[in-house]
Amino acid sequence: MPKITFVSPEGGRTTVEASDGDSVMQTALANGVEGIVAECGGAMMCATCHCYVDEDWLARTGTASDEERSMLDFAASEVRPESRLSCQITVTGDLDGLTVHLPDAQI
Amino acid sequence: MCGMAWEGYATMAFAPIDETINIDQLTRDPYSIYRRLRAEAPVVTVKSIGRTLLTKAADTRAVKDNAALFSNNDPNTPMQRAFQAHTLMRKDGEEHMRERMAMTPTFSPANLKTLWIPAYEKLAGEYLDRLPRDEVVDLFPALAGPLAARILAIILGIPDATDEEMQYWSQALIDGAGNFGYADEPFARVDACHAAMNAMVESRVPLLKAEPDQSALSVMINAEDPIPFSQVLANLKIAIGGGINEPRDSLLTVLFGLLTNPDQLDEIKRTGNWSTAFEEGLRWVAPIQASSRCAREDTQIRGVDIRKGEILMTVQASANHDEELFEDGHLYNALRPKSPHQSFGSGPHHCMGTHLARATIGKIMLPMIFERFPDMQLVEPEKVVWWGFGFRGPLSLPVKLN
Repeated sequence: MPKITFVSPEGGRTTVEASDGDSVMQTALANGVEGIVAECGGAMMCATCHCYVDEDWLARTGTASDEERSMLDFAASEVRPESRLSCQITVTGDLDGLTVHLPDAQI
Repeated sequence: MCGMAWEGYATMAFAPIDETINIDQLTRDPYSIYRRLRAEAPVVTVKSIGRTLLTKAADTRAVKDNAALFSNNDPNTPMQRAFQAHTLMRKDGEEHMRERMAMTPTFSPANLKTLWIPAYEKLAGEYLDRLPRDEVVDLFPALAGPLAARILAIILGIPDATDEEMQYWSQALIDGAGNFGYADEPFARVDACHAAMNAMVESRVPLLKAEPDQSALSVMINAEDPIPFSQVLANLKIAIGGGINEPRDSLLTVLFGLLTNPDQLDEIKRTGNWSTAFEEGLRWVAPIQASSRCAREDTQIRGVDIRKGEILMTVQASANHDEELFEDGHLYNALRPKSPHQSFGSGPHHCMGTHLARATIGKIMLPMIFERFPDMQLVEPEKVVWWGFGFRGPLSLPVKLN
């Protein structure tokens, strides 16, 4: 199973096992990772599962689509080039070891 | 013997049945009941309302997030009769998504930023300007209700509907949808409103066909592959039914919370953290307190057996006071550590007005009203009545401005 590491704003690292086909958001919720709220449950209708993809991984996750970028306008924390909605990143074996950083706030 | 033992076991596993709680108690003082239920029976069938209440945050959230197992289609409610339609609120999956997506372009981040938020800001200033000074004014009918009505009429594309009409229609839809006793009057009243609403909407169609804009009506009728007109009407009515009381009640609730906690208000004025004060109001008294779901299959929640077809009330009002997440959840505390509430719901039916509410009330109205009236005082706050089971808020907010 691919492993994903979530880094809190304070720097704490939580590494969890993810299931192929789940989103990074679902992985966080399933493992009780704090800092991902995901109000809309993955329908890309809120911006409360915002994360920053570690720059080493950006090439593999890709950057936000136009629609996703537009929804990120509602994010509570600063939006950067590496900002993504974690519901829009699907876990595959290729992402084993992925590291994402969590923002200060989701609401 | 064997059969009896099995029956006994099966009965034990279903939710316990409470025969003491009634709708009047839930309307007047739901929070003390929910506190007891969270401790004693977090999954409980309340006989008087014929539904199983879920009062713990983890359970309400899990049910709403699992639309595959828990349907929105509660078949035995007066809502369909009241709305003269099967609306998207009670649909699932693709069918729900198609009707929802028909309206989403109106609520896009770009439209909020360039159209609706600036419109609200201007209106908020105008509505505050006309409040009388140096006398007691009730902010429910003088500000919160009409302002919510006005911005909604504009966003929906029916700006000719007056504030009074919008509020009257909204209340009639709510009363009809909550008419579980199937009395005649609420249905007759809402039927009359349908005639007026339909006429208002239909009168706008040719204009918006000729000159499309970003309003919900225009976006829906001018779509490449439009949804049936019956569902255009139904969508607008859902927005009218839900789009006034929620911004109205949340604004009044936050104002009550801040004005009865002057130390917190001072701190929020200092930090400018109005959004946090707004979120805390939504958490404290959720404008929509409970939402129903129907189990599609036999399942279990917290070890309790749930039958296929059983109707669950996910009580977000109670989830927002859950001791596992919030200390002294019964108190308004704008300075409490951040923890997400569930007042906008979650999952595919997550409130479409969320971003609009956060931007308008949290970021515009709250700083604006306290800037205009820095010494605003509540008049006899102990006399403010809080009311409602499905929808809840204060019935008045008398203040003295200055």
